[in-house]
Amino acid sequence: MSPETGRETALSIERVSYTYPGSATPALDGIDLTVAKGEIVFVTGPTGAGKTTLCLAASGILHHEYGGTLEGAITILGKDVRDYRSMGEIGRHVGVVFDDADAQLIFTTVEEEVASGLENLGVSRQEMHRRLREVMEATGITGLADRAPHTLSGGQKQRVAIAATLALGTEILILDEPTAELDTEATGAVSALLRRLADEGTTVLIVEQKFDALAAIADRMVVIEGGRIVQDGSPAGMMQGGLLQSPAGAARHPAPAAALPAEALPVVSVRGLVHHYDGVAAIRGLDFDVAPGEIVAVVGENGSGKTTLVKHFNGLLRPTEGTVIVDGLDAATVPIAQLARRVGLVFQNPDTMLFAETVEDEVAFGLKNIDSGDPREPVDAALREVGLLHRKAAYPRSLSRGERQRLAIACVIAMKPKVIVLDEPTTGLDARESGRVMEILARLRQDGRTIIMVTHDRLLGEEYADRIVRMEQGRIVRDGKTCKEEPCPRLCSTSPGRALFTASTHLPN
Amino acid sequence: MQYVTRESAFHRLHPLTKLIFAAVVVALAVLTGDTVMLAVLAGAVVAVAVAGGLARDLVRQVPLLISLAASLLALTVLTIRSGEIICYLVPPSVPVIGGAFPVTVGAIDLALAMSLRFAAMLFAFQLLVISTQPRDLVHVMDRLRMPVDYTLMFLIALRFIPSLQLEGKRIHEAQLARAYNPGRGLAGKIRGLFPIIIPLVSNSLGKATVLGLTIDLRGYRSGRRTPMHDLSPGRADVAGICCMGLLVAGYLAVLLV
Repeated sequence: MSPETGRETALSIERVSYTYPGSATPALDGIDLTVAKGEIVFVTGPTGAGKTTLCLAASGILHHEYGGTLEGAITILGKDVRDYRSMGEIGRHVGVVFDDADAQLIFTTVEEEVASGLENLGVSRQEMHRRLREVMEATGITGLADRAPHTLSGGQKQRVAIAATLALGTEILILDEPTAELDTEATGAVSALLRRLADEGTTVLIVEQKFDALAAIADRMVVIEGGRIVQDGSPAGMMQGGLLQSPAGAARHPAPAAALPAEALPVVSVRGLVHHYDGVAAIRGLDFDVAPGEIVAVVGENGSGKTTLVKHFNGLLRPTEGTVIVDGLDAATVPIAQLARRVGLVFQNPDTMLFAETVEDEVAFGLKNIDSGDPREPVDAALREVGLLHRKAAYPRSLSRGERQRLAIACVIAMKPKVIVLDEPTTGLDARESGRVMEILARLRQDGRTIIMVTHDRLLGEEYADRIVRMEQGRIVRDGKTCKEEPCPRLCSTSPGRALFTASTHLPN
Repeated sequence: MQYVTRESAFHRLHPLTKLIFAAVVVALAVLTGDTVMLAVLAGAVVAVAVAGGLARDLVRQVPLLISLAASLLALTVLTIRSGEIICYLVPPSVPVIGGAFPVTVGAIDLALAMSLRFAAMLFAFQLLVISTQPRDLVHVMDRLRMPVDYTLMFLIALRFIPSLQLEGKRIHEAQLARAYNPGRGLAGKIRGLFPIIIPLVSNSLGKATVLGLTIDLRGYRSGRRTPMHDLSPGRADVAGICCMGLLVAGYLAVLLV
């Protein structure tokens, strides 16, 4: 029985500690967690707190697939994970959605992906078709049935990965940041679906940085930090306890840029932009100006054309029709290397660019490419700006997720571009790291740089941008100061999750 | 090269029929070195693609085949002297080295045979892959009692080739945005690959663990699979097998005569 609910226990973790091979410090340190059948437990905490390791422990993966030192007892449906023969046997009871959606999509069409697990369950064809249809409708991917997974956006991939796991109909669901790349509406839909499944008896353990929609459906919220549980209670009670505080020092309303003459020419000017991918229109006629020193948030649902638009600014994409002028240069014809001096692009996943042996070399790479002389001073300045000067000799891939994101920004700002474009700058980051990234952007704007950030998180735009441009189906449908006229999701008194952990060390345990 | 959603006659065939078709083409291509017979075989595969409405998909492989044929021709001309000499790469009138690198009929024949063999095998394999959902192939390979590890390796290779291409493109774009410029000369070109290859390999290795776990958790090692769609062979399969039988018989007859 679960002590918290009096219901039968589905998942039990008792005094579990775990240290990864080659590591000196434990990733989990004396975790005690019991999850009752039909309960939703929402686990959250800062980057590197041990949330993913907790998912791996709870699903038996640490025991069956990883080395390292595992102590304590983990029980799934009353049976010790050591007594399950393999992950295949555990998989009949536990469905896991990993944080890397792309890596868990195996097949060549979406429908095949979702159906694949069903075919191994030994259920009738009629039942398979019923579940397939139901899950695809519930996750909003029916229209993607014939698409190849590798052609989908990040958010669409996450929805397919969730659908493929839900289709298995397991008694327990363990989800590691399943909505990190989903927009507000899709996150709400997934949350509602999880609540319904829990009401029908499914046990859900969900790890997320987002706070709003998931805390609203959870029965319990667990905060983990440094491999230990520091809070365990009802989400409403924890909110009333004053957990939601602003990120320390984060510029929620960034200082304005230096005064510009009213007639200042736009640094980015887009006219009549149309872009087709293999004959399919991704941008359908778009006019757009950005003034020097502005922070502009480009928001919209997954697949609305946001990333396609900004890739035109540095020549990675050329217009099918229309013009894109960046700092007086025609981005349709000027070589990418020349545009790279004017426009820096920080990709969503920093691992896309990291290859050097040291942080210092990584930042120097771009400077050497543009022959800007001795790179030492600008490298140090860029690393100082993002708070990584003390890590200049470190191997870039050994940094934490948040540090890697800041390193990616340093790589770009070292080249001193006038315009800095960031694709989903805070996805996968906790409150502290998100706050740091946004502080850096606010400082850069004060130095006169123009910031354009692409995000599916409307609240991020509302908090930090001067202007929000909303895109839908390849068109700008709104361009203004804020989106406040739109309904705010539940519990969104501030940006989800971002505000949650900065003061968590001060919390009573 | 991956599954294409389409309504074609070839799509409707049973996966085993298509697997046999690919195996037969490979076997026949290996059995002979005769250029005429290999040309007939490659032509037969193309005819099947045209009949099934899949010819346009095969055309995408033509640039690869042309570059392969050119490389093979260069290699055989430089290394093989067999049969009548057609001409010389260095004309005999050139002092000292005149008459070097004779182009012989044997060298051209061999290059042509290897190119046609490769074309026939590639086209047949492509027809199989673009018209068969990987899970159906997995079912058939299971029924043929192929070890599950090999089946899954095949499946993963099919799925992740386009993903790797896409990841490579993304990494290339990220480095281009930092004014990346591949180096000059051979050493420069090799050094210039590092900013692309290192993230590509690191990111791919990172995905491997999750991929393996996903396969296990979805029960792909359980060995009890129920195909969602009926995979019973139909009349078209019987007709296809008969045609292949005729092709094999004719081929062997010509070979033995």
